[in-house]
Amino acid sequence: MSAAARAAFSAFAVGVACGAVAAPGDDPLAWLTRAVQAARTTTFAGTFVHTNGDRTSTVRITHAVRGSEEHERVEPLDAPAYEIVRRNDEMYCYFPDAKTVKLDRRTTARFFPSLFAAPVATIAASYDVKLGATEHVLGYDCRWIRLDPHDTMRYAQRFCSETTTGLVLRAKTLSEQQQVIEQYTFTDLKVGPGAARVDLRQIFEARVKRWISDAKPLDEAQSAQTGWSVSQPPAGFEKITELKRPLAARAQPVPQIVFSDGLASLSVFVEPNSPQPRSAEVSSENGTTSFFVHPVGQYVVTVLGEVPLATAQQVARSVVHKP
Amino acid sequence: MTEQISSLMDGELEAQDAERAIRSCCADEEQKATWLLYHAIGDTMRGQAPRDFARPARVIAALQAQPTVLAPKRRIAATAFKVAFAAAASVATVAVVAWIGVQGGTAERTDAVVAKGASNIQPVANKTTVVAPSVTVDEQAYLTAHRQLPSPELYRPVTNRAAAPAR
Repeated sequence: MSAAARAAFSAFAVGVACGAVAAPGDDPLAWLTRAVQAARTTTFAGTFVHTNGDRTSTVRITHAVRGSEEHERVEPLDAPAYEIVRRNDEMYCYFPDAKTVKLDRRTTARFFPSLFAAPVATIAASYDVKLGATEHVLGYDCRWIRLDPHDTMRYAQRFCSETTTGLVLRAKTLSEQQQVIEQYTFTDLKVGPGAARVDLRQIFEARVKRWISDAKPLDEAQSAQTGWSVSQPPAGFEKITELKRPLAARAQPVPQIVFSDGLASLSVFVEPNSPQPRSAEVSSENGTTSFFVHPVGQYVVTVLGEVPLATAQQVARSVVHKP
Repeated sequence: MTEQISSLMDGELEAQDAERAIRSCCADEEQKATWLLYHAIGDTMRGQAPRDFARPARVIAALQAQPTVLAPKRRIAATAFKVAFAAAASVATVAVVAWIGVQGGTAERTDAVVAKGASNIQPVANKTTVVAPSVTVDEQAYLTAHRQLPSPELYRPVTNRAAAPAR
């Protein structure tokens, strides 16, 4: 482990332990480390707009930290009435009209401003991390953290990290032509213990008492050897999980292999090439998300991820049966 | 009972309820007609020719009495793929709720249905319409799985009751 990586790792550990990291000076990795933690350890409430390709959505998010408990409420504003409430690692989905609640204990899904999937040392292996200008956003000062990829297999990213707490107020993903292809921006925001106060807890507890919660999901995705592997994953992409996942309208769970470089991730799915066999490759791109479908005899490989299409293509074409 | 049949078709019933619904639906002529009717509508909205079963005249009559459904036409495979992808991407931010909403039947998509009565058919029509824009809805499942969001198979619908265990 390099000295830099060691420093980054210890800073990561400190962030976990203390819930906040002191002002990180001019060290880009320290800024990144603090931004990773701030999404979990900061109390805030706000509304953000997410644009990916030609799609835009607006979401209200309230995130409260009470001791060791993390509560989060996520409401899409331009959709039918429903919301997510997350308590630590349990995610509840509410449908107010139907008075129905659904629970998933195993989900790892997190939403903006939590965008990082790995310790900063992993991210720094694939991206140059630099500090940019300071900007004034919604009454807060935030400093841009610039992540430029070492190669063309992933996109450049920019995070504007609030100078006091480290919370990410804006995030952008850039194409190779430096055009913004995905963006998250808070349009209103309150940060600090007063921002979420009690209403989150009240809503949560009132509903859990009133409605049934489903403590046991029907099926669980099983970690498993799928019998497939990727012979040429792009540099920096590590396999983070391999499983057989139940999917809609399938008799059998579908093999899925997930790769990540700490920021960008992609999934490989392999299914029988039936009942309407594909004979040609198909691809699609929208914003940061690429699809690449590659038929291999009696199977069809689908690669999907927040990566350039060329990356999805390389992965799809190098999927092989394990010996 | 009509609701039971609707739920049965959507795979939302527990084993016992499903068995009861199946038994009831084949024993009763009226329920049987409803069952056939729902399948005929579902098939049509998915762009398939309705299944080749003997349709009683009353099913035909019931079909003719249904609201006009403004579902997009079926496209060629490549285009459909993109359409499915676009639809999936639109819910990517909070795909979890959008997806579950569809499955739970609470995501009303009345914009695609010209409602003129026939309330008994509405739940099925709504649900089917959600997947109607494409024959390749599988890509949406991929996107949901990729983002490690919960997929509908992982859930049972649960409902209001007086004394849920406080967890």
